[in-house]
Amino acid sequence: MKDLILSVKNLSKSYGDLEVLKDINMDVREGEVISVIGPSGSGKSTFLRCINLLEEPNSGTISYQNEVINQGKYNRRKLHREIGMVFQKFNLFPHMTVLKNITYAPQKLKIASKKEIEAKARELLSKVGLAMKADEMPNNLSGGQQQRVAIARALAMSPKILLFDEPTSALDPELVGEVLKVMKTLADEGMTMVVVTHEMGFAREVSNHLIFMENGYIVEEGDPKEIFAHPKNERTAQFLSSVL
Amino acid sequence: MDFDWSYTVTAMPILLNGLEFTISIAVFGIALGFILGVLAGLSRCSHNKILYHIAGIYIGIIRGTPLMVQAIYLYFAIPVMLDFNLPVLPAGILAIGLNSGAYIAEIVRGAIQSVDLGQYEAGTCLGLSKFQIYWGIVFPQAFRLMLPSLGNQFIISLKDTSILTVIGATEMTHQAMKAVSASFKTVEVYTALALMYLLLCTLLSMILKRVEGNMKL
Repeated sequence: MKDLILSVKNLSKSYGDLEVLKDINMDVREGEVISVIGPSGSGKSTFLRCINLLEEPNSGTISYQNEVINQGKYNRRKLHREIGMVFQKFNLFPHMTVLKNITYAPQKLKIASKKEIEAKARELLSKVGLAMKADEMPNNLSGGQQQRVAIARALAMSPKILLFDEPTSALDPELVGEVLKVMKTLADEGMTMVVVTHEMGFAREVSNHLIFMENGYIVEEGDPKEIFAHPKNERTAQFLSSVL
Repeated sequence: MDFDWSYTVTAMPILLNGLEFTISIAVFGIALGFILGVLAGLSRCSHNKILYHIAGIYIGIIRGTPLMVQAIYLYFAIPVMLDFNLPVLPAGILAIGLNSGAYIAEIVRGAIQSVDLGQYEAGTCLGLSKFQIYWGIVFPQAFRLMLPSLGNQFIISLKDTSILTVIGATEMTHQAMKAVSASFKTVEVYTALALMYLLLCTLLSMILKRVEGNMKL
């Protein structure tokens, strides 16, 4: 079995009286691709945002490489360098060129020489099929292209884990495929990924572990193909039959 | 009624005597106002309670009193209270600076707060420091957002210099009033005065449009 890289134990999160996450547990091993599916409002995105502490959990522990990160004085900036995030709305920096979007953080954090960072950024841009767009401004790109730039930007930090928060939900249907293709390539190359998604094809075919959430609980999890074929829980069955 | 419209042209050089004063107060006053506005605006976004409240009091006082009263207070009352002599030019610059600073503070605060939260999150998730996020990502976008209102405030402040006539600043309006009392050509001179302000404001708004266009995303 591959090394455990991230471990979530008994995680709970509430906003006032509203409990959005209840007793969530998850282990992520190196190279694993985990898809999190479920109806809107089930807590999937909040869960993902807790992992890199964009949201503060109320209780439970999150351990990254065997160190608890959500208590005490864990270096959060180091954590953010190693756990990348791709957002639903891309969140590219609109006042910077595509290339600058990718090189800005690595250069500020001096993770390599300026030349190396730029060379790597161009390499990543070709990888996501946008080598020609390096000098464009983000607003001149389509949604699918912007999301691929956002993936390249996250990859430029050489993250150990990449989190995806509904990466294709803000896209026109015909642009979804190009983003999923890039994500599949990353999965094939062994990138560790946690993907909150409504793309059932991706969840079934690409991920090797599936989590179904509802009402803040993990209702069912396991092998994606197994769950899609024979959901054990009634709610999972209902959800799958309504989206497929 | 007969008007001697040629006097409108004749009056221009008289007004030009006050132009330098008007422009000095406007340029330095607006520059001071911009600095004060950025500082107070940032304070209004800050978690530091002391800064937040100091800026709040400043903005409250300025917005709650007329510029004319502020100018009079600065020039006549404060020097008496503190027993010192404040020449009219610095008093005028201070009045315009303090006044526009309060309004600019609100413009700055509004612009910073309207930068999408996702931009902070994207920066955070790349491991950037707060300072790097603000300087590299938030401020450049906030600056673009505030340009139209900022330009508007600059134009208001430029015109507000005419109010400083009450403290005896020898700017354009003051010169015009002097010219009228010497020639009694009220309509001609004040028409010249209005045209001068129109010209100045048009020039300024052209420059601002240009800057805005260049910085558009």
